[in-house]
Amino acid sequence: MAAGIILTDAVDHARGELALPAGWSLERRDSADLIAAIDGLPNVRAVLVTSDDPTAQRAAVEHAHRRGVPVVMACADSADRRRAVELGADEWYRAPAGPDEISWRLQAATGRMAPAGASLANRVRRDSYEDMLFDALTGLPTIPVMIERTRADFKAHSELIVLYLHFVRYSKIEEIYGWEKLDDVLETTATAVREYLDSHRLRATRMMVSYANDDDFIFFHVPSPESGGEPERALTDLTGRVRDFVIGKLEEVHGEEVAALVDVYVGSAHAYYDPKIRLERLIYRAIREAANDARSVEERERRSKVADLRQTLRDGAVYVDYHPIVRTDTGEVFGYEALARGEMRGLRSPEVMFEVAAEADLVWELSRLCRTRAIEGMATRLKPDELLFMNVDPHDFADPLLEGIPVPDPQRVVIEITERTAIRDYPAMRARLTRFRERGFRVAVDDAGAGYAGLGSIANLEPDFIKLDISLISLIDTNFLKQNLVETLVKFANEHGAMVIAEGVERHEELEVLKRLGVHLVQGFLLHAGAPPEGIRLFPNEDVAAPDRRARP
Amino acid sequence: MQDTRILVVDDHRDNVAIIRDFLAARGYQVAVAHSGEEALRQYDETEPSLVLLDVMMPDLNGWEVCEAIKQRARGSHDVRVIMVTALGEWDDKREALRTGADDYVTKPLDLVDLGERVERNLAIVREGR
Repeated sequence: MAAGIILTDAVDHARGELALPAGWSLERRDSADLIAAIDGLPNVRAVLVTSDDPTAQRAAVEHAHRRGVPVVMACADSADRRRAVELGADEWYRAPAGPDEISWRLQAATGRMAPAGASLANRVRRDSYEDMLFDALTGLPTIPVMIERTRADFKAHSELIVLYLHFVRYSKIEEIYGWEKLDDVLETTATAVREYLDSHRLRATRMMVSYANDDDFIFFHVPSPESGGEPERALTDLTGRVRDFVIGKLEEVHGEEVAALVDVYVGSAHAYYDPKIRLERLIYRAIREAANDARSVEERERRSKVADLRQTLRDGAVYVDYHPIVRTDTGEVFGYEALARGEMRGLRSPEVMFEVAAEADLVWELSRLCRTRAIEGMATRLKPDELLFMNVDPHDFADPLLEGIPVPDPQRVVIEITERTAIRDYPAMRARLTRFRERGFRVAVDDAGAGYAGLGSIANLEPDFIKLDISLISLIDTNFLKQNLVETLVKFANEHGAMVIAEGVERHEELEVLKRLGVHLVQGFLLHAGAPPEGIRLFPNEDVAAPDRRARP
Repeated sequence: MQDTRILVVDDHRDNVAIIRDFLAARGYQVAVAHSGEEALRQYDETEPSLVLLDVMMPDLNGWEVCEAIKQRARGSHDVRVIMVTALGEWDDKREALRTGADDYVTKPLDLVDLGERVERNLAIVREGR
């Protein structure tokens, strides 16, 4: 890099102390001569202004920016700082400042000014304009950009096909995995969509994709002139292929459990060029049509899922996965959480199955079936001293048939109630739980730490077990806040005679931390595998518990 | 350590000055901001590895800033956020967690404790997790 000069009006700087790039030097000018130096000297890389005279400050900024040179201002007070912002200074610092701070400001200012001659103000404006046109998360252009890029082709070929990819997520995905996961999933969707376009160039036609901000994606497709228009059937094929590709990618990247919580529906529409109608209007109309088409596909699919659910209820077609809950002190299996899944493909995920049931007002029926199946399995799946943990939804408590469920030995059954959905009527809930307790059932508060109930309301339910939400467990080894929260809950549980269960344990590091924090029981995929990876013993004192992974009949 | 940047955000200038001097003396590059808005601007400019964030600020509160920072950081670089709060209650910590915070310190500040927390969080950034 060529030698550079930093001009300053500063009187009191120990010049040697500023960390400047090799070959750069600091040159001092009196305020009166500063402007002439900015205009006249070659290789000026930055101007450091320490004067508190507004006129001098303004002149320095104006002249420097005219030459594309960044300005760093020393600000003695907040009035100075406001002026620095107003004048468009590229950096400032609060004076007095040490040489480190000043060097850093200078570096920051010169680093940003890389494109010679362009003033920062212009650059910032251009950046934010680009931001508006390209979605930050997906990196895809927005609709106005798409329209501009398509304009010529659309006119030339007089036909445009719009595909609308409607992205639907089951509400659980954010609840269970957090918004980061949802963002990840959207990002994967966008990548999959781009990948599809790259790998399936449709007979040399142009195809583009954009992000509608509403979690949905829009494709513009200008058919090649030779094809003589895209027949409807080919279009249906295309929408189906896009859907399959995206869903396949989601499963590949995020696993079936997460992929089951989202769905994509693709609709399509044609637009034909008409010089009498504004092009934008034609395109927006087609987008709307395609969106409606996608939504009607969704409607159809939802109706067919409800039909599947009715079939499932008639046939009793659910099976139960028993997820082991393991003692941290001995490594022995303490009990199992029963998780019911539908046998039909679209109802495999319990979250989806129950959401469909909620739409069709069949929650009680589905819950009853799942409970019956879970309890049936106790005799064959569980050893006599092992407990069965069973989810009971708050809605289920209103089910008149709930309290009468036939259970051979209620002392071995733990009712899990979630903290996620707000419990509105605590006295009523306590009264119900008391009736269960009198029969011998035990109670666990599920998803503790996920909902909005504080510790007090957890205590209010007098649980025998507190199940920590997965959001508190995942990566707990690197998050000290989570460690502190879990520690608090363990202490709380010990004071109240309850045991703490950590859910969603997937990594050895997490297990180690949980043991150290005194968590009593753990559950999660780490405990599922028949045996831990070679050379690793989960629990040093015990031959590792090897529960069956799947309990599918 | 020379290029480890830390952003300190607090609307009380005295607090900021104390923390800045303390961290600067340990060889970190310290940027400061005195409001939520300024914090986000500074964050974009300096891309720090660690942010010390006061919860109670007049414009954007610390939760909002934390959430915004974690959103921005996704995919670009790892940033750890330590919340600085006078509150030590369960609900506040859980709120901190919801916004993506990694650690917290309570006021009044114990600088030795702060230094340790800063170091252990930076160690995790350096390990690349």
